Amino acid sequence: MVVKVKDLVKRYRDILALDHLSFSINEGEVFGLLGPNGSGKTTAINCILSLLKYDRGEIWIFGQPMRPDAYDIKRNIGIVMQNIAVYNELTAYQNIDYFCGLYVKDKNQRKKLVNEAIEFVGLGEFTKFYPRKLSGGLLRRLNIACGIAHKPKLIILDEPTVAVDPQSRNKILEGILELNKQGATIIYTSHYMDEVEQICSRILIIDKGREIATGTKDELKAMISLGEKITVESYSITEKQISAIKKLPGITSVDYKNNALIIKSGKGTNNLETVLDFIRKENIHFGRIYSEMPTLNDVFLEITGKELRD
Amino acid sequence: MQVFKLCIKVINKNKYLLLVYVVIFLVISFTLSLTAVREMETSTSFKPAKTEIALINEENTPLINGFRAELAKVATFVDIPDETEALQDALYFRQVSCIIRIPQGFTEKFMNGENVQLGKISIPNSIRNVYIDLCIDKYFNTARLYVQNMNGITQQELVQYLKKDLYDTTSVEMIAKGEKTSVTNLNYFFNLFAYPMLSIIILGMSTLMLIFNDKDLKMRNSCSPISSTNISMQFVLGNLTFTFVSWLIMVLSCLLLNFKSIFDFNTVFLVISSFVFAFCCSGISFLIGNLVKSKDAITAVNNVVTLGMCFISGVFVPQEAIGSSVLKIASFMPTYWYVKANNTIAKLTRFTLDTVKPVLYDFLIIIAFGLAFFSVSLAIRKKYRSYT
Ligand SMILES: Nc1ncnc2c1ncn2[C@@H]1O[C@H](COP(=O)(O)OP(=O)(O)OP(=O)(O)O)[C@@H](O)[C@H]1O
Ligand SMILES: [Mg+2]
Repeated sequence: MVVKVKDLVKRYRDILALDHLSFSINEGEVFGLLGPNGSGKTTAINCILSLLKYDRGEIWIFGQPMRPDAYDIKRNIGIVMQNIAVYNELTAYQNIDYFCGLYVKDKNQRKKLVNEAIEFVGLGEFTKFYPRKLSGGLLRRLNIACGIAHKPKLIILDEPTVAVDPQSRNKILEGILELNKQGATIIYTSHYMDEVEQICSRILIIDKGREIATGTKDELKAMISLGEKITVESYSITEKQISAIKKLPGITSVDYKNNALIIKSGKGTNNLETVLDFIRKENIHFGRIYSEMPTLNDVFLEITGKELRD
Repeated sequence: MQVFKLCIKVINKNKYLLLVYVVIFLVISFTLSLTAVREMETSTSFKPAKTEIALINEENTPLINGFRAELAKVATFVDIPDETEALQDALYFRQVSCIIRIPQGFTEKFMNGENVQLGKISIPNSIRNVYIDLCIDKYFNTARLYVQNMNGITQQELVQYLKKDLYDTTSVEMIAKGEKTSVTNLNYFFNLFAYPMLSIIILGMSTLMLIFNDKDLKMRNSCSPISSTNISMQFVLGNLTFTFVSWLIMVLSCLLLNFKSIFDFNTVFLVISSFVFAFCCSGISFLIGNLVKSKDAITAVNNVVTLGMCFISGVFVPQEAIGSSVLKIASFMPTYWYVKANNTIAKLTRFTLDTVKPVLYDFLIIIAFGLAFFSVSLAIRKKYRSYT
């Protein structure tokens, strides 16, 4: 077990930021911490890193209790903070070298590692740039490079893709998977469910500092009663036809709003064909028709009654 | 030594800004110290300014003519009609600062050894009349001596003697015991030095502090396997290196500009004094850097603190010219003790334990100030280290 968190409670005066949070992360996992803004993701990460005092709970990393002076543990952790932490007085290269140097004393080894990190995040052209001259996305990449250059066993990334364009984001996500392939255990926090769905092998959803659900992507989706969702865009559907659709087997709800017919089916059923047959038979004119599988947002929605993203 | 190297790099990045400060300050200080010395020179070899007076002469004798000639050395005569109102007006409007009247029969009575008096009306409390009074006293007292001791001396003879006697103005050389004036220039320079020293060290240190105290960077550094004590120590080392280097640059340029007196003992002590003071500056800047969180605020605080301290402690004006109550307040500031030590050093001609002792005490006080500043800042750091 790489990380084990037990019964973590953290209060900021009257705000309960973490409410008896427990979870554990195995070696080689890409662990996703998913939750809306202010749900306590950063707080949880800071507690794990002993940057914050917490009110209750225990934290072990690599099987040892984590404390502010547990330098042997810290040596093997790479951290990419949510707030960009780089020195404006140092160039991109110098920044990576500085942070890498906090972990790796040997100069030659460090040089190699720094260059690898630059390669990894694709900052090759910008090594001599000062942070102020870098765009938001490039700055994020620099922030990542500073965190991972020393090849740590455990990498914690706190929303590393905020304000990054989709292309760079994909590159970052691929990179994270690559790091994982090279043997690192990853903790990844985000409020973008698609990112988490895309890369995480296991996911913990939290809200208001409390665990909502945990499991693999499929396990989470299996938790909810919802199955496939079919949307038909059409102007001309009668009440009669709607009640007829409702009677089709496996369909749990039908909604007609804003010229869109939304048909939800129960878990494990596949109704697209039945619906298509019906539409054809009734000769309904339609614009588009598509089917979606439930997302983590639906999971969040079903459990908390609200959308994951505002 | 990553953090230490970082400090050096940051300072290096800002070196031109800091150097510009050094150069500007040095030029200003140098000019100021030069003019100050010139002023000192002129004020020691002074010439009495002539005073406007009115002499109402009711006699015309050789004695009185001699007196008039003597008086002309310190006064210019203004013609005023001998009418009460005109004379009063002249005094009132400060046209003259005194009116001397030589009454009828004065010479005769004087030559007979009788007690006679000049009439004299003057503006009350006028310092300028001191010269006139001195001149009158000197002339007539000397004359009386001759009259009393040389029977039958004629007026002409008397005037001859007087002329000769009063011509020799004694040249007065003021050599106070144990004092010497050749270092005054350097003394003043080193006093002024407190201002750029404080400013630059506060500026440089706070540039470092701002980076060092940045919350995100602090947290990021705390994640590393380097203990916070280690990081702090490296940082303090970086700070002290910076202080030392800026002190060195300033002292060297200062000595180069005053190279004549480099090998004086006084100079050596002044250099030590500035070093001790630099340490104290370091403490002050550490405190400011810990208390103040934004760059703009630091500039403001820097100006207020340095200018304030320097003004009331006698960095710009001599301590003697500052009110005693102000000096009392100033004695709560290290600049006061620095200036005091420098002034004492400048006056030293012999360097024995006894003569140097007061200087050493001042040094100790300055060091104590520095230590106090450091401890207060460290206490503050400790208090805010563990965030909630
Ligand atoms: N230093 C602090 N003092 C007081 N309250 C805080 C502090 N830091 C965070 N909080 C509160 O704790 C709660 C959790 O915050 P946290 O930053 O952990 O959320 P998050 O999940 O990381 O959000 P985001 O997605 O916006 O980064 C929020 O309600 C926040 O307002
Ligand atoms: Mg956060």
